Amino acid sequence: MESFVNAIVSGLISGSLYAVMALGLTIIYGISRVFNFGHGVVALIGAYIAWAILQNLVFSTATYIVGIVVSMVFLSGFGYLLYLLTIGPLLRKPGWEISTVLFMLGLGIMLENIILQIFGPRIKSLPIFVSDHFRLFGVRVNWHDLVILVLVILIVIALNYFFKATKTGQAMRAVSQSVEGANVVGININWIFGLTFGLAFAVTGFSGVMLGTKYYLDPHIGWDWMVIGFVIVCFGGLGSVSGAILAALILGIIEALSIVYFGSVWVWPIWFVIFVIILLVRPQGILGGRS
Amino acid sequence: MLTAMNKLINKKHYNYFLVLAVIVGLAVYPYAGATSYMLHLFILFFIWAVVAVYWNLLLGYYGIFSLGNVAFMAIGGYTSAILSITYDIPPMITILLGGIAACLLVTLFLGLPALRLSGIYIALLSLVFALTIPSVLTLTRDFSGGGVGLHSIPGFLPGLERFQNYYFCMVFFLFAMFIKHRIIHSKAGLAFVALRDSEDFASTLGVNRYYEKLKVFAISSFMTGIAGGFYVHSQGDITPSLLGIEPFLLGVAMIELGGVGTFLGPVIGSAAIVFGNEFLRLAGTLRLAILGGLICFVILFYPGGLMQFFSQLGDYYNKIINYFRK
Repeated sequence: MESFVNAIVSGLISGSLYAVMALGLTIIYGISRVFNFGHGVVALIGAYIAWAILQNLVFSTATYIVGIVVSMVFLSGFGYLLYLLTIGPLLRKPGWEISTVLFMLGLGIMLENIILQIFGPRIKSLPIFVSDHFRLFGVRVNWHDLVILVLVILIVIALNYFFKATKTGQAMRAVSQSVEGANVVGININWIFGLTFGLAFAVTGFSGVMLGTKYYLDPHIGWDWMVIGFVIVCFGGLGSVSGAILAALILGIIEALSIVYFGSVWVWPIWFVIFVIILLVRPQGILGGRS
Repeated sequence: MLTAMNKLINKKHYNYFLVLAVIVGLAVYPYAGATSYMLHLFILFFIWAVVAVYWNLLLGYYGIFSLGNVAFMAIGGYTSAILSITYDIPPMITILLGGIAACLLVTLFLGLPALRLSGIYIALLSLVFALTIPSVLTLTRDFSGGGVGLHSIPGFLPGLERFQNYYFCMVFFLFAMFIKHRIIHSKAGLAFVALRDSEDFASTLGVNRYYEKLKVFAISSFMTGIAGGFYVHSQGDITPSLLGIEPFLLGVAMIELGGVGTFLGPVIGSAAIVFGNEFLRLAGTLRLAILGGLICFVILFYPGGLMQFFSQLGDYYNKIINYFRK
């Protein structure tokens, strides 16, 4: 029983990490319909920038925040420029669905190997926020995990506020509903798409930092994160933010339970079966995004 | 005599001559002082060309966005290797069985779900399918070798050297090209292209989209599975690293570099990648970065790939000829 509760708790925590990682993916897809196959590497870049800053500065809470903010700002600029210079022109050509995916794939592999060149193949890990732990109803809970959970909830609330209450966020939702309609009422589509990429890349970089503190960093782990994100966004419905969060929590718990009861080898086959069932029974996902 | 020569060298016959010259050239090459290393590269080229060509049948002709074709190859290769090692079945039979296994598994797990899906969902499904295979191999490590892979797999026939393997793979390569040529010029090939261009329109004209989709998955996975069998028995070993990011990247690069949706494109692309990859080994760990950058560059600035480059060359050539004729 205790192992079951433990599995649920750790599943919820890794699920919330997966949720914030899947957010970047689902934001980009929901608004611009581009599926970002370089997603994992973007998260990895965010984590590595934070790591590099922490290595070169004196470690404290302030420098940690500086590291996270710098990597998010850098990635949002990178996303905006990437859209403006490459994805935008590709979207205007026929066959963009395949060409953008293959382009992001090639870019991801290029960046991954540049990271390998700069930082080397050694495994690195970001320092955890708070090192202590406490007991709640007999279950051991790390303060670090709790901080992650709070941060994830905060970023989800902030994103929700942004999409619901600000003019730019409303414009993004309008574009996601109908590009032509948004164009008619005078929304600059190119600007909105560029902002979307910037925003999503910043969120992805943040999620990379969180994953880097919980797990470890090496230049190839980005692909694993990305594929987990793929399963989550399909499970929750492509383009649906709340669906992605719910799906991430469910899949996190399933993952933790299958590790406890079957062993970690079974995680992938189980996810594949879930993935196939979801695609067959309900391709639009549990909360219904775009089918 | 001259008129007869002229007649022979019109456009259509010219193509036949070219094909014949390439076949003769490939057949004579091992006798013309080829090193063992070059033969090895050519064998790799033959196998990868088949994989790339049938990947292109899915991606370029039908427009099905499959990312799992290297996994089809691995299924065929593993099946063939396991059967020939564990049950001592002659490899020439197990290769065929490997193709059938790949065909069945792929049609069941990808083809049938793909009937209801489109676009990006098939890409994700095939990617997750490919990523599941290493776990399956770990679970069945008693006979599949797990993470270590399988080694000392028997050759095509007992006592064959690389020299004879070259001919086995060459015959397979030519046969696969012939089949591909027949497919794209048959009713099925036309149906694939019609469905790619407009699924609704093609269905209205009486093309059964479910049947054709299953057919293209079956053909592609069968041939790719057989290519996996040839890979395994010519190389002598197979490891799960075949399912890693690098072979996948090489496959994508072959199709993109050669030209999506063209007959010769993937062949030229795989020649460029297989031979170019050896030179890129000089760049060490930067090799994959260069390949990734190459894919980005081709997609951004040269979407037709090498085939577009060649046709542009042909245009320039004609322009120059016409200029002098005037």
